Amino acid sequence: MKLSIRSSAFALALTTSTILGYSAASAADLSMWVRASGAGAAQHLVDLWNTGHADKKIAVTVIPDNQMVTKLATGSQAGDVPDLVSFDLIYMPDFMKAGFLTDLTADLKGDANYASVAEAYKNIATYEGKIYGAGFTPDVSILVWNKDLFKKAGLDPEKGPTTLAEIHADATKIRALGGDTYGYYFSGSCPGCNIFVTSPMMVAAGAKILPAKADDTPLDGDGVKAVLTEMQAMWKEGLVPASAQADNGANFVAAFMSGNVGIEGSGGFLISLLKEKAPNLNFGVTILPGIKEGQQSAFVGGDVVAIPKGSKQADVAKEFIHWELTDEAQLEGLAKNNIIPSRPALADNKYFKAEPRVVVTAKALGVGYVPWVFHFNDMVNSDSSPWIQMLQTAIFDGDVDGAITKARESMKSIVAQ
Amino acid sequence: MTNVIGTPTRKFSADESRIAGRNNLTGYLVSAIAVFVAALMLAPLVLSFLSSVKTPEQASATPPSYFPTSLSLENYDHVLHFGAGLGTYVGNSLGVAALAIIFSLLLAVPAGFGLARFSIPFKEFLFVVLLMPLMIPYQALLTPLYFMFAKLGLANSLFGLAIVHTILQVPFSVYLMRNAFEAIPRELEEAAVIDGCSTFVSFRRVFLPLVFPAMVTVALFAFIASWNEFLAALIFMNKETSFTVPIMLVSVRIGHFGSVDWGALQAGILISILPCALIYIFLQKYYVSGLLGGAVK
Repeated sequence: MKLSIRSSAFALALTTSTILGYSAASAADLSMWVRASGAGAAQHLVDLWNTGHADKKIAVTVIPDNQMVTKLATGSQAGDVPDLVSFDLIYMPDFMKAGFLTDLTADLKGDANYASVAEAYKNIATYEGKIYGAGFTPDVSILVWNKDLFKKAGLDPEKGPTTLAEIHADATKIRALGGDTYGYYFSGSCPGCNIFVTSPMMVAAGAKILPAKADDTPLDGDGVKAVLTEMQAMWKEGLVPASAQADNGANFVAAFMSGNVGIEGSGGFLISLLKEKAPNLNFGVTILPGIKEGQQSAFVGGDVVAIPKGSKQADVAKEFIHWELTDEAQLEGLAKNNIIPSRPALADNKYFKAEPRVVVTAKALGVGYVPWVFHFNDMVNSDSSPWIQMLQTAIFDGDVDGAITKARESMKSIVAQ
Repeated sequence: MTNVIGTPTRKFSADESRIAGRNNLTGYLVSAIAVFVAALMLAPLVLSFLSSVKTPEQASATPPSYFPTSLSLENYDHVLHFGAGLGTYVGNSLGVAALAIIFSLLLAVPAGFGLARFSIPFKEFLFVVLLMPLMIPYQALLTPLYFMFAKLGLANSLFGLAIVHTILQVPFSVYLMRNAFEAIPRELEEAAVIDGCSTFVSFRRVFLPLVFPAMVTVALFAFIASWNEFLAALIFMNKETSFTVPIMLVSVRIGHFGSVDWGALQAGILISILPCALIYIFLQKYYVSGLLGGAVK
């Protein structure tokens, strides 16, 4: 029995020390939940705040992206919430309607900095005339192209595609290089990735994607069909790697990072990520195009910051929201780290002069859209959503018209709930 | 049985030579198969290791390459310094697992003993009730449990999480302990009673050493289940400093829109396997010796 005594003693000692260590953690800090993919950007801002506010420090807790909604919902119901929360802006309407968030109208209405925040962020955080949050760590979708592959394929490496047909033509030339080099990439089983990078091309061509009210027509306009048809053609011609069909987003970044994909829709976050992890990759950034020359759009993403109802230090939390919109936070916290500020007027700053590609993302923010809808998860983000089923049926099975009709009906029935 | 265990070593080695040493060819063949199976089992680990020492750029390459062209510890560095630092998560995980082991043993050993050795009214029914949590998907239990724990002040504490892990682990542990106690011959218990042992003394001095391998098994399963558990840890814990390893592993590898940082993923896998492998190797020794140190020598 030597083992059980010795190991039990060890285990007990270990446990006690851990629990003691845990309870010794500072209780005065503000707590903030941040979804994992926004954590890097949020940490820059929080670090900056903490250096200037030693008595009101914020401790960040990173929550895996797809668990954020569950966690915030269960936490709100149990009354166990953080002081601040930063989450995907697309869930804002559902959370505001559910009554999980503190009304910030009185605080933000008179804030001049808030007045100059990008319209998309102000719009998504307003419900029935009340303001519940502010833009925090913005992101926006863009089109990236691999300049080295463009050069090899005989294309102008400094000129990105400006129409969908041009993407197709360039992708064909790049695929002609042979081997493992492909012209275009998209994550075929990732609903979120495609609403981010594929839907703006439809919107640029004049389409409306999601219904806000029961009598709106979803997937309205020729742009939907035009984009799906073009993508189906690229898939059929083998310009996209076969692995794209099953990619649930796992290779959304990796595919382009490995250097053998010519063109891909991505997000502003990719610029700093590639500079850090693949410094030798020579790439260009442009705004997602539509069908005709001059048509452009983007999906405004990233995180909003809000205060859950039940926050124990709501006053300090409000102070933080005011602070994160100031020039200091926007420039030294975001722009300095190649992240676009939520106030478009600050896009012209000394940090972006050194990295013109980020300026493109700031411009994309100006032309971008964000759908203000309930049930975004059911319509788009879930694995069996009408949105992803439409893409898969149209692109991989070839039935473009049937796919659109079916998705339109399912979206209508979801929004009617 | 008695015959085999009591047989002198000479006979045993003769048996051995009859199996593997009849001719060299069979020996080689057996070894070759063994090496092949071992290689098959090791391949994922080796590939994982090779990917973890690639640069992040190379680890993400599609199609992937087998061997790294340049070595880099960047992925390990990323995992080590993510969030509150690897040490915090490992400390929490070990603390919760240790508590879960202790709670599981404290509950399952007496329960197994009672169910196996005493005649209790409606015993089989009680046993089925005890096993019922196994039949319900545990995800369905978590939300009501969380609300209850939040009221009791047990949410967001390692102690509370260890209780949840114990709840998940106890049915299987009771099942295992009951079988272990039932396998002990009644004669031993009778001999102990004749020698003047009370129920408690015979439990401690006769039964416990005999069910030791089963206790080690319970501990091992409780450890692995607790170490790997993700969802309860995520729902019950609200602070970065109280998260466990699986939550950190998910956060560290997932980027925008579910994109995976393959290098960090592989480094995380290897780091999280280590304690499991160590505890298994360490306990296996006792598991086997406990088995051979059985009763009826």
